[in-house]
Amino acid sequence: MSSPERAPRGRWLLPLFLTASAFTAAAAIVVAVERAPRRRAPEPAPASVALLAAPTDSIPGEARVFRTAPAMMAIPPDTRRTREAHPRSLKTYHYLRAYPGAPPRIPHELTPEEFRTSACNTCHERGGYSRRFAAYAPLTPHPDQGPCLQCHLGTDNLMAVSLVSPDPNRRCRQCHATGGMPRPQAETPFDWLTTTWPRLPSSTAEEQPAPILHAAEPRGNCVACHAGPAAVAEVRTSHPEWADCRQCHVAPDPDAAAFTRTASAETVPAGGTP
Amino acid sequence: MRPVDRRTFLKEAAVVSAATAASAAVPGAVLSAQALLPRRPRTLEEWKKTPCRLCGVGCGLLLRLENGRAAAVKGDRDSPVNQGSACAKGYYSVQALYGKDRITRAMVRRGGALVEVPLTEALDLVARRLRDTAQRHGKDSVAMYGSAQWTVPDAYVATKLFKGALGTNNLETSVRIYAASAMAGLESSFGLDGAIGCYDDIDHADVFVLWDDNLAETEPVLFSRMLDRRRANPAVRIIHLSTRTTRTSYAVDRTLLHLPHAGLAIANAVCQEIVARGLVQREFVDRYVAFRRGPSQPGEAPPGDPRYEEEAGEADWDGYVKFLAAYTPQRVQELSGVPAENIRWLASVYGDPMRKVMSVWGAAVNRDVRGTWLNNAIHNIHLLVGKVASPGNSPFCTTGQPSGGNAVQNAGSLTHALPRGVVQNEQDRRRAADIWGVPVDRIDPRPTHSALSMFRALERGDIRFLWIQATNPMVSLPNLDRYRRAAAGDDRFIVVSEAYPTATTDVADVVLPAALWIEREGIFGNAERRLQHFDAMVAPPGDATSDAWLMIEVARRLGFSSLFPWDKSDHVERIWDEYGRFHPDPRSTLPSLAELRTRPGLLWPFVGGRETRWRYNTAHDPAADRARGDFDFYGHPDHRAWIWLRPHEPAAEWPDQAHPFWLGTGVVLEHWGTGTLTQRIPTLHRAVPHAYVEMNREDAKRLGIRNHDRVRLTSRRGSLELEARLDYRSQLPPGQLFVPAFDEAVPVNRLTPDAEEPVSGQPDGSTCAVRVERVSGGRAS
Repeated sequence: MSSPERAPRGRWLLPLFLTASAFTAAAAIVVAVERAPRRRAPEPAPASVALLAAPTDSIPGEARVFRTAPAMMAIPPDTRRTREAHPRSLKTYHYLRAYPGAPPRIPHELTPEEFRTSACNTCHERGGYSRRFAAYAPLTPHPDQGPCLQCHLGTDNLMAVSLVSPDPNRRCRQCHATGGMPRPQAETPFDWLTTTWPRLPSSTAEEQPAPILHAAEPRGNCVACHAGPAAVAEVRTSHPEWADCRQCHVAPDPDAAAFTRTASAETVPAGGTP
Repeated sequence: MRPVDRRTFLKEAAVVSAATAASAAVPGAVLSAQALLPRRPRTLEEWKKTPCRLCGVGCGLLLRLENGRAAAVKGDRDSPVNQGSACAKGYYSVQALYGKDRITRAMVRRGGALVEVPLTEALDLVARRLRDTAQRHGKDSVAMYGSAQWTVPDAYVATKLFKGALGTNNLETSVRIYAASAMAGLESSFGLDGAIGCYDDIDHADVFVLWDDNLAETEPVLFSRMLDRRRANPAVRIIHLSTRTTRTSYAVDRTLLHLPHAGLAIANAVCQEIVARGLVQREFVDRYVAFRRGPSQPGEAPPGDPRYEEEAGEADWDGYVKFLAAYTPQRVQELSGVPAENIRWLASVYGDPMRKVMSVWGAAVNRDVRGTWLNNAIHNIHLLVGKVASPGNSPFCTTGQPSGGNAVQNAGSLTHALPRGVVQNEQDRRRAADIWGVPVDRIDPRPTHSALSMFRALERGDIRFLWIQATNPMVSLPNLDRYRRAAAGDDRFIVVSEAYPTATTDVADVVLPAALWIEREGIFGNAERRLQHFDAMVAPPGDATSDAWLMIEVARRLGFSSLFPWDKSDHVERIWDEYGRFHPDPRSTLPSLAELRTRPGLLWPFVGGRETRWRYNTAHDPAADRARGDFDFYGHPDHRAWIWLRPHEPAAEWPDQAHPFWLGTGVVLEHWGTGTLTQRIPTLHRAVPHAYVEMNREDAKRLGIRNHDRVRLTSRRGSLELEARLDYRSQLPPGQLFVPAFDEAVPVNRLTPDAEEPVSGQPDGSTCAVRVERVSGGRAS
């Protein structure tokens, strides 16, 4: 209909339609968010992650990130992307750390040579798939700090030679054997978990880049935890190929007070700052 | 970021979408979603600063408290010591406060067992027994064995109680068995104790020479700072002299393996080569160095009479050159196992005028039976080439204890010491008597016993009352069984202040519950002369009380209230003020408590608001007289540093037919001391649950020993069964063994000899001779 005298009569229709659509959209988002985590992970996630890519989705930007020479890896890289024994989730991430910011425990075995020489960077500096442990090696955000064993400890049962084995049982027992991966802190009388881990941001409709919830030192390399196949599932970014993370993601200082004006004509002489 | 859960999210989403829709529906109306949401309080993270409780590096840590408990740790980026980093012990250290078997009540031994009693009753008993013992057997029949883990106020109170109130010099600490040779080395070479440089030297040195088996595990954060220095400056070199291959060996540029007890010979050979090749800085030596000859056959110290001042004969340059002639690299190659060309190379590194050299050493050197001499010999190298007391040029001895080295000794807690100076010096006694308000003849001018001598006096019965605090001598003393028997003797009253049950509380008649670390206010002093303050942050459990306050309570019961008049609320500050009165001049001025509270530690001497980073250097040390040139070694009356002529001597004990192996003891990164604290930290305990013996693969094969087998080590003093590990942390040359000493259940000191170093009184605990036998198979490797 195009006659102008009809327009005034339907003027209330458009706002009503928009409002209804907005409510419907909101409801749709809520439903989608509610359902998405349940389908992806067996354990409940602490918050929805609608803005972040699901870990099973292929992330095209990653294709070139971890290319490295086989000789450097010391283990021939598997061109097939094998299904992992278990994806690296926030639960395992917390499990290995006594409190937020603690250096993680070493969950896998080491050969005597690796133990003596702290040769961790062979796998952990650049990551990649490890057939030995049937998992992608998490990246260290601080490969330049060392020796690694100064802060990262394992258990006494580290000293078993772990051979590459096709037997999935053997692989599992590298971590889940007695002494391999210690039981969680329920054993200790001291409950570390009273210290709160930072909660992930909700998928805010404001669509702001999430603030950085942890200390930036010594975690200057964001890609190490937030991108790649070994990244923690719940905090993977959808856009690892964007180079400068800190252009949008900032780390607010929780101790900073609100701004109050302290400068004035008396304190700031003409011609520049004091 | 505000924490959000699902319900709240849904609520917020609905609110936000409604607001958005409303904004769209009503043009011009700007509804801020934020304004509609309920306000949530922001959680403020508060991190409180403290030095670490373990090891002598003295990292600055920040602790986070939650619900009255210490819950998280991070390195303090403002601390110049560690600059934000730490090691595994530091990261888990706060768990040491919460072990299951923490001692929270005083206990008294009745009918063979320890029973809990009210604290006041225990303190009454301690005071009564102390007074009765002194009355019956004389003032020197009571003694105290304190600790390099004391805070400075603890040490000061102990000194005042024993030397100022009771009038006896029977006061010793574990500093004696860990670092006395370092102290004696500095005192003989430079006239004063205390590090010459500081950790800043790491940022200036071009070469690091480590005279220590395993710095990566004994002082991890210092070692990682050296690695950082090398990463930023690829020309930097790290050289490592060691008796075995350790984690350190894999990180350094060059390892020189040598036989045990060869350090003196190697150091003298380096000096000889420096002289022979004309690398001596003659100007420096002529202007700032003098020569001394000590007794060449000091033997062992007679019981009860340690020599704290050597008779020094004068020597001169020619005499020194003649003395060195015997230490050719060729001859020392036979003594030490280090090839002559490597010794020459090491000398060329020290002598290179374009490179600054920092030597670092610790227990491996100090525990040598000629530990003082070895300290002198390394100082000699630096003095010959003029590389001392300036940034990057630094002979630096580390200590292993939070207040080791000079913090505790400076407070007077050794038999010969006062809070300033020594008991033998009349002026020092007058000063102490004046500040304490006691008659000057109350202070005894004779030193009585060094640590081992004190336990031998306990054995003989000359000492009948002994109060042990914050240390575990029934695991850490060499020739352990002898002193365990001594402590268990009749009519020996042993009081132990401790936080956990140990082999020492097992022999106690009274156990007092000690507050640990941040459960009370205190000050530690680390290896670089940095004093670091920490507040009381959490409440001590039960009746646990600080060592200082327990001593004050006993002192008052003994009638010395006038000497210890302080109120509990501010006694640390009052003690610090009083201690400061001993140090009014630039050679040792202390920072005030107010300054220590706000800064992550301050170096002393702290003069005119500035730290003295390099002593004796006239550009950096206000106590040094500029008129004397670039350096003023004011510790000695002639204002010179002394090169001591120290001959190499064989070890106290040597392997023979019956005991063909060298046994060395030492440290692993995960544990500290005798493990009293670290074994109760679950993650550290699980990383290394028990001690073991490491041996050479070929030796093991020859003896039929496999990895994890149980073996027996036997020395001339006793035997010990433990697990054997092969290719574990370190690799041993043939004929050598290594056992870490942290495990009370594997008391390796049962095997070690208690020969005392004659100048410092530090026992030679570093090596002894043992034989090895396989006992049984262990678990499958």
